[in-house]
Amino acid sequence: MINRESEEYIVNVSNLSYLIEITRGKKHLIREIIDAFLKQVSEELVYINDAITKTDYGTIKRYAHSMKSSVSIMGISMLTPILQEMETLGATADNIEKIKELYQKLNLICEQAIEEIEREKLNYF
Amino acid sequence: MNDKNKINIFIVEDNKVFALALKADLENAFENMPIQIHLFETGETCMQKFNEENPQIVILDYHLNGKNPDAADGIKVLDWIKEENNETFVVMLTADDDVDIAIKSFQHGASDYVVKSDTQFKKITFSLLNFFEIIKEKSYSAKLLLELNKYKENYLP
Repeated sequence: MINRESEEYIVNVSNLSYLIEITRGKKHLIREIIDAFLKQVSEELVYINDAITKTDYGTIKRYAHSMKSSVSIMGISMLTPILQEMETLGATADNIEKIKELYQKLNLICEQAIEEIEREKLNYF
Repeated sequence: MNDKNKINIFIVEDNKVFALALKADLENAFENMPIQIHLFETGETCMQKFNEENPQIVILDYHLNGKNPDAADGIKVLDWIKEENNETFVVMLTADDDVDIAIKSFQHGASDYVVKSDTQFKKITFSLLNFFEIIKEKSYSAKLLLELNKYKENYLP
């Protein structure tokens, strides 16, 4: 999709085709899973941010690991390598500064994904 | 339908999005079968309902204590399930493609092990298909054995 005013490409970060496939397009299921995702991802971002503030590598690792499953359902594939790296750094209890950088990317992509998915959800009422 | 004929399946997974998606996929994959799927976010809640619902199948996350380190992990829950009913078919799920985790799961009695990946739901479906095949064969063998015993009683000295 091209934004004609600014001549920029707007690239979607999420892709619900996998979700639609596994739910066979059933609207009530899609809405239920979208709602669960929107709630869960907001909480997980807060937990990770909190853990970064406290340099709590264990919590960073655990939530990065957990988020991989949910972002894959919502087709946010560009988050997978970011979360994998956060999980690895969390496991080695190393390089909090790098984790902070990764978190900035994670947060930015999640913000866009949330906007997209909230718009998309309107198609499933 | 009589609840006694239903196949109870437990999904024990602390990631609600993943659990709901898996439930949706399995209900579609096995829509002609009398399955009833129950979701649990912790091993503890699963164990509380286990003897009441008697699941034939449990799909169990290895890192159940991922969010709460004090919660029971997948192996502990697996051990408990096997103690309660050794016949329960347990599929261990994990995002870690680690052969040591796979070996440990099988050593503790898991019937199958699936790595969370792009093809995770297909792998779980195939695992359950294998289980249903086993049940069908066991049931057929039991029927043959019964007929054999009847024959022996009626015709053999």
